[in-house]
Amino acid sequence: MEVKEVNLVLAGIGGQGTILISDILGNAAIAEGLRVRGAEVLGMAQRGGSVMSLLRLGSDVLAPLPPEGKGIILAMEPSEALRNIKYLAEGGTAIINSKKVIPPAVFLGQTKYGDLKEIINRIKQVAGKVILVNALDLAEKAGTSLASNIVMLGALIASGEIPLKPDTIRQVIDRRFSGKLIEINLRAFELGLNSEHKKC
Amino acid sequence: MGQKTFLLGNEAIARGAVEAGVQVAAAYPGTPSSEILTALSKVANDLGIYVEWSANEKVAFEVALAGSISGLRSMASMKHVGVNVAHDAVITAGYLGAKGGLVLLSADDPNAWSSQNEQDNRWIARQAYLPVLEPSDIQESKDMMRDAFELSERFKHPFMYRSVTRIGHARGDIELGSVNKERRKGNFTKDPSNLSYVPTVARKNRPLMIKRFEEIKNAVNNLPFNKLSLSDKAERGIICSGISYAYSSEALKWLNLEDKLSILKIGTTYPIPEKLVEKLLNSVQEVLIVEELEPFVELHVKALAAEKNISVKIHGKDYVPLIGELTTGLVTQAIAKFAGVKTPLDFEKINTFSNNSVNLLPTRPPILCAGCPHRASFFAIKKAAEKVARENGTVPVYPGDIGCYSLGISAPLETIDTLICMGGSIGIANGLSHIIKSPIIPCIGDSTFFHSGMPALVNAVYNNAKMTIVVLDNKTTAMTGFQNHPGTGRIATGEPTNQIKIEEVVKGCGIKFIEVVDPYNSKKTIDIMTQALHFEGPSVVILRQQCSLEAVRSSKKRGDKITPYYIDLEKCSKCDACIKVFACPAILRKINEDNSFGDYYIDSASCTGCGVCVQICPYRAIMESE
Repeated sequence: MEVKEVNLVLAGIGGQGTILISDILGNAAIAEGLRVRGAEVLGMAQRGGSVMSLLRLGSDVLAPLPPEGKGIILAMEPSEALRNIKYLAEGGTAIINSKKVIPPAVFLGQTKYGDLKEIINRIKQVAGKVILVNALDLAEKAGTSLASNIVMLGALIASGEIPLKPDTIRQVIDRRFSGKLIEINLRAFELGLNSEHKKC
Repeated sequence: MGQKTFLLGNEAIARGAVEAGVQVAAAYPGTPSSEILTALSKVANDLGIYVEWSANEKVAFEVALAGSISGLRSMASMKHVGVNVAHDAVITAGYLGAKGGLVLLSADDPNAWSSQNEQDNRWIARQAYLPVLEPSDIQESKDMMRDAFELSERFKHPFMYRSVTRIGHARGDIELGSVNKERRKGNFTKDPSNLSYVPTVARKNRPLMIKRFEEIKNAVNNLPFNKLSLSDKAERGIICSGISYAYSSEALKWLNLEDKLSILKIGTTYPIPEKLVEKLLNSVQEVLIVEELEPFVELHVKALAAEKNISVKIHGKDYVPLIGELTTGLVTQAIAKFAGVKTPLDFEKINTFSNNSVNLLPTRPPILCAGCPHRASFFAIKKAAEKVARENGTVPVYPGDIGCYSLGISAPLETIDTLICMGGSIGIANGLSHIIKSPIIPCIGDSTFFHSGMPALVNAVYNNAKMTIVVLDNKTTAMTGFQNHPGTGRIATGEPTNQIKIEEVVKGCGIKFIEVVDPYNSKKTIDIMTQALHFEGPSVVILRQQCSLEAVRSSKKRGDKITPYYIDLEKCSKCDACIKVFACPAILRKINEDNSFGDYYIDSASCTGCGVCVQICPYRAIMESE
């Protein structure tokens, strides 16, 4: 079966759980018999710095890194979406958690966080579709602010940009977590899946 | 078809070793290699594999070498710069050869994602006469590791397996093979004419090593990792080494050049498969060598073309970047230029747009975590050192070392003045102490202290080098993923063992001023540091407090509540000391509508309750939550 190439860039900040999203997606892809390749940077980069995981689906993908200009973006934070803009295909989709995370260096006066509207506008110059998700609110509704990443995973699947069935994701979540966390994360996933996305 | 599993490259490499029946595995943690031994540790007891976190890479390699000498399949894994530490043993291991399959895994780090340099260890392999295997993909990363042991035994010679960040930290679906459960009984047979390198033995064995290597040189032409695909009437060809093959294959497809160019995939980058290379060179007029970092394959191909008198134009680093890692985009551009075709996208436009967006983005480098004891340590060290330095009109100098605490380089701490290599803090301090009058404070982590800090400490005592060595003891190897080390009292599999106390080591080395302090107690730490800095001769202060990530994890496990702190806004004078001096990422400010900064607050989700900020606030505005 020929599967169209999908290049997903998961952008975020160390500790936001981007690697977990990529792990769930990878396992779901295997469960659906898809070929999957990906990469991430571990070690130094995980201490509150910018991080990204890359995930690629498709019959022919071989390299761990997607090429520039050929992907979609799922960002846990708005500025991190723009930081990885070179991966976004012209007319591609960017799904962004709208909650800003201000790094301590801003309070130290070493760097500035640009205007959010301008950041989104700049992404829109490349993107065909930008979907903003208030993942924090939905995650808290699900039971913990820590589940923002799973809300975003739900929003990604809802966007139809990735050829994976919601049920497969549910099964992976069920296997991946234990105890109370299964229920919370399944709830977070549903909330993301059904969220009224603010498309702009 | 075998079972498919989603694995990290390093887990795939460990699986390959398990499938080969590895019996001895030793390592020192280092990104991007650490997860290999972690994965092996999890199955070691069940499968009867001896695993260890060694004190450093040299010991790790020697442990593996002993395994091989005893007839067992053995491996040592380390990051690229770790091979520098093992170098002494590695060079002579080539002379020894291998009895049980012996594999040295070097995890190189193009782009220096987590390293101090971008060294290409194929050069070390060449110097040591170690054949190099380089996987192109995550599936091959497993299969190649399995076959590496087989090859090592077939040729009675150690092999280097060269991974890179984008192999070890790649993920993908892997088809698993069967596990070799054969367990050999290791034995040591006395054989000084092969194992004891007095000069006569070296002279006797060097030609034998070269002979073994010649056999390997012939055999690599027939190994499955090398594959020549000649296209009909192609005038141009591409030679790819290791992971470059993945990027090149995708680039050729993207450029619609798949059937128009010939391609040679090289998995044995040293020695190169000369017959295959010769065949390609004779079939085309121009060839492009696509490889990351150094022009290693390029020089060997050029030498071969010259030797065989083949007239062909050879490109390499004139088209492919010498610096940083490759990507499909970069390789696409290189191949497009080489083949004289247009790129499918305007990469320059994409990169310009990206670069022009940077001004909107905050820089977000990695930082010390909330509650990190290193921040508390550096705060106190700096306080004491600046005061003592003022007394003699100097400024303190902080030779730094490798670990999480390297992040002390950022403002406002700025306590990493040099950062060269593992153990380099005390080494550099040894030199400086005889040259300048400043207080010299080398700071080194617990694992790094055992790794290579000890000889430099002995040197300081022996040569009476005045310095205050600070051991930042957070009871784990944190940066690489919380591995055990000689000071933790646990071995790689988690079982208890002898615990080596740093203070006892230091005492045994002859240091006369030794104090152990909890850095969360700022006043006491400043006080002890001041005394240490006034001490005539080398002094040691051990700042001991568990890594905050580990501490939070274990409190959660025990069900203990973490009590976060909060800022009493009535007492807060907005003096900014908590941010300007300390900069714990849990201390934040509200952002007003007009984007100006508002009230100070502590993020209760990230506060670990260490209480150091309470001691720093001059207005006592930071309070413990009820």
